[in-house]
Amino acid sequence: MGTEQQVEKFSLAARQIGAEVFQAESLSAAARYVAEKLTGNLLLPAFASGARAELKSALEKAGARVETDLSRETAAQAEGGITGVNFAMADTGTLVLESTDEAIRLATTLPEKQFALLDPEKILANSLEAVEPMRQLHLRDPRNYIAYVTGPSRTADIERVLTIGVHGPKELHILLVPKLSSDPLEM
Amino acid sequence: MNKQRNKDYRQRIDQALATPKLQDALHKFGDAYLMSRGNAFANYDFEAMRTEISAMKTGVRENHAVLLQQFIANAEAAGATVYLAKTAEDANNYIAELAKKKGAKLAVKSKSMASEETHLNVALEKAGTKALETDLGEYIIQLAGQRPSHMVMPAIHMFKEEVAELFSKETGKIEPAEIKHLVEVAREQLRQGYFDAEIGITGANIAVAETGGIALVTNEGNARLASTLPKTHIALVGIEKLVPTLDDATKVIRILPKNATGQPLTSYVTWIRGAVPCAGEEKELHIVLLDNGRSTLAESPHCQEALNCIRCGACANVCPVYQTVGGHVFGHIYIGAIGIILTAFFHGLENAAEIVRACIGCRSCVAICPSKIDLEEIILSLRETIGEEEGIGTGKDLVFRKVMRNRKLFHGLLRAASVMQKPVTKGERSIRHLPLFFSSLTEWRTLPAVADKPLRDVILQQPQQVEKPRYRVALFGGCANDFLYPELGLDLVTVMNALDVEVYYPQEQNCCGVPALYSGDKETAIELAKQNIDAMLEGKPDFVLTTCPTCTMALQRDFVEHLKDNPAWAAKAEQLAEITVDAAGFIVNQLDGADLFAKLASQEKVTYHDSCHLKRGAGVWQEPRQLIETAGHELVEMAHADRCCGFGGSYSLTSHPDISKQILKDKLNDIEASGASCVAMDCPGCMMQIRGGLEKQEMPVRAQHTIELLAEALKNS
Repeated sequence: MGTEQQVEKFSLAARQIGAEVFQAESLSAAARYVAEKLTGNLLLPAFASGARAELKSALEKAGARVETDLSRETAAQAEGGITGVNFAMADTGTLVLESTDEAIRLATTLPEKQFALLDPEKILANSLEAVEPMRQLHLRDPRNYIAYVTGPSRTADIERVLTIGVHGPKELHILLVPKLSSDPLEM
Repeated sequence: MNKQRNKDYRQRIDQALATPKLQDALHKFGDAYLMSRGNAFANYDFEAMRTEISAMKTGVRENHAVLLQQFIANAEAAGATVYLAKTAEDANNYIAELAKKKGAKLAVKSKSMASEETHLNVALEKAGTKALETDLGEYIIQLAGQRPSHMVMPAIHMFKEEVAELFSKETGKIEPAEIKHLVEVAREQLRQGYFDAEIGITGANIAVAETGGIALVTNEGNARLASTLPKTHIALVGIEKLVPTLDDATKVIRILPKNATGQPLTSYVTWIRGAVPCAGEEKELHIVLLDNGRSTLAESPHCQEALNCIRCGACANVCPVYQTVGGHVFGHIYIGAIGIILTAFFHGLENAAEIVRACIGCRSCVAICPSKIDLEEIILSLRETIGEEEGIGTGKDLVFRKVMRNRKLFHGLLRAASVMQKPVTKGERSIRHLPLFFSSLTEWRTLPAVADKPLRDVILQQPQQVEKPRYRVALFGGCANDFLYPELGLDLVTVMNALDVEVYYPQEQNCCGVPALYSGDKETAIELAKQNIDAMLEGKPDFVLTTCPTCTMALQRDFVEHLKDNPAWAAKAEQLAEITVDAAGFIVNQLDGADLFAKLASQEKVTYHDSCHLKRGAGVWQEPRQLIETAGHELVEMAHADRCCGFGGSYSLTSHPDISKQILKDKLNDIEASGASCVAMDCPGCMMQIRGGLEKQEMPVRAQHTIELLAEALKNS
């Protein structure tokens, strides 16, 4: 897991399908990156690694307008949403988000800008390696809503011309932050 | 045959052919698709992957009842309500009832072919629920009041100007025909729907027995919204979407987007199991498992393999017929090769009766299918069923049953034709114009005249100069080599003799039966198989050589298939299949004889056309190229070298000449663009089509069989 090569492969694949990948040296650097991209509200649902790292205060310190009260109304108004990542796959540049908690889904489906904090330790080689943690998630929880996210929302339905940003986020920013969490079962 | 149905179908073909813009779009898509698909699979072993999928899905078919129970039990344990719908009506009623109970005014839908299959939207409207399609392509065709023309890209037949017009009507202001803008309009128009809708409806790409969950493979993000915001989620899922485990589901996800659109992976794969939280409560999840003909399909020994389909739509992407007429002609609800089969079982044979004949049999779909389904074989078997139900037409019936089965009569008539055609051929080898109602046949290509003397006669006069033959081989000429191109057979003798191989021509051989088989008359095909097995094995040849790859497939595959349950014939059919080989493959693989021709030819710029049944049937495509290059020619590859030339036997003569003509036009363009002065091929059918087209267009390119080029090289030396 998480070799330098793997990180490189992941970043290349993610960029190829239209995601931005930012190697942050620290959480506060990541928070600054996020704050700079926004003028409106940023949805911050609760997730383990974020709470542990005191993400909310880091974001606020960087100047982001953080919204932690997630409802359909606040989500519809927000400009961005930020979550952690359970794990990722290098070959396709894919993020895996255990999104059973509805707040995670509201934060990652409705706003135009999606931000994801990924500990490079959590990058697996490919989807075959992902089967085991996927199975563990299914064994742990009685119900699941798990999302593979690969780049921003896209369509080619008009004249097969690739167009980014239909119903989902128009931008996907992946922030590589070390020492957040190495547990694929935890976001 | 149903005359009105046939007339409507012909009209749809004419309409499609009169829309060159559509053809252009589908051709460009076909090219772009192959390129991105190539990139997507660059670091993967497609053959190994599809072999795995095929084995897994076959296992699912064999254990379906158990897996279905496992899926249902796990889904219910996670709080889902599962309903098993026998028919489309059954599924629609269940969903409409549910919508009524919820007092639902609006249901947002993400793309679901199953709901197209059942015409769910109509049923919902009747129940007072508006169904709003949110997938961009589906939204467009909903506004246009049309049906999808492609399984993955439903609005592929429409252009941005048409979309702008539809959207303008919706917004009440003029929307410019810029794609980025139109996508933004759709986002804005549809956004509120997710919040207002009481119900979200999706399909599913996969149902996992191990977990009781479903997986949705999407790009736009609408399925995530439709399965998150409304209080009730209904997933309509065909029962063939089952896979045993998460490992198997992952295998499907690894191959599906790559083969569907050439994407390494779609933007989203959404795994949903059970009633997940929704606005502080529990979501109501209903999984409607749709049978609607799938169980019947599972029981059909000749067609059941079609249930292995994972709905990538690639069979349409590479289909020359689809690229020529689009999915509104070549399909019903499901389109392309798989569409023909699914239509027969989901929507009734009647709705498949015309399109089952529209397949030209080029096998490009078979080569690209991620589940390794032999679509062509299944389509042929359906054609046979329809032939039995509706008859194959009295003219054909007479020719196949009364004439072809009687070799002496059949060949007697062909000999008579060679005399009777004189006023038309004026002694030339090509017929440029036919009179009266036959004239349309020579409008776009010349036709070869029937030779004065067939190969079976002239070959007897050809002295064989082999002192110590390495092999003694029997030549299976096939009708075209025998009666249209006897010189090809003589060239083969020259080439073989030079390689120390003696050739003889069993006189009792008859037509290989493919024309009858392709027209749905299997009985005649079986009778001809028996005649040919006896004729070809009688002289105990070391090998049986063919110059026509369609005949090769008949001898290698069809005869065995026809007779495998007949104890008197099965072993003999196997024996013939075993020793049958096409000429080019024989020279390279059995004789290792390419070097004999080294640098003998006077160099010419040659391009090679792959015949469908040689490349995708016999797996031979490198051998002829090797022979041509070794002989000293400059080989230049044309674009789409392995795309069908449009011949397809009676396809180009009687059943679909208009489509055939278009496909030929594409081929001629590719040949011309290659800059070659000679196009080589290994099939008399392709020769008839391509040579005929080149002559009619007066293009300065000759069309030759590889064997003819080799004989030429020998004579040159």
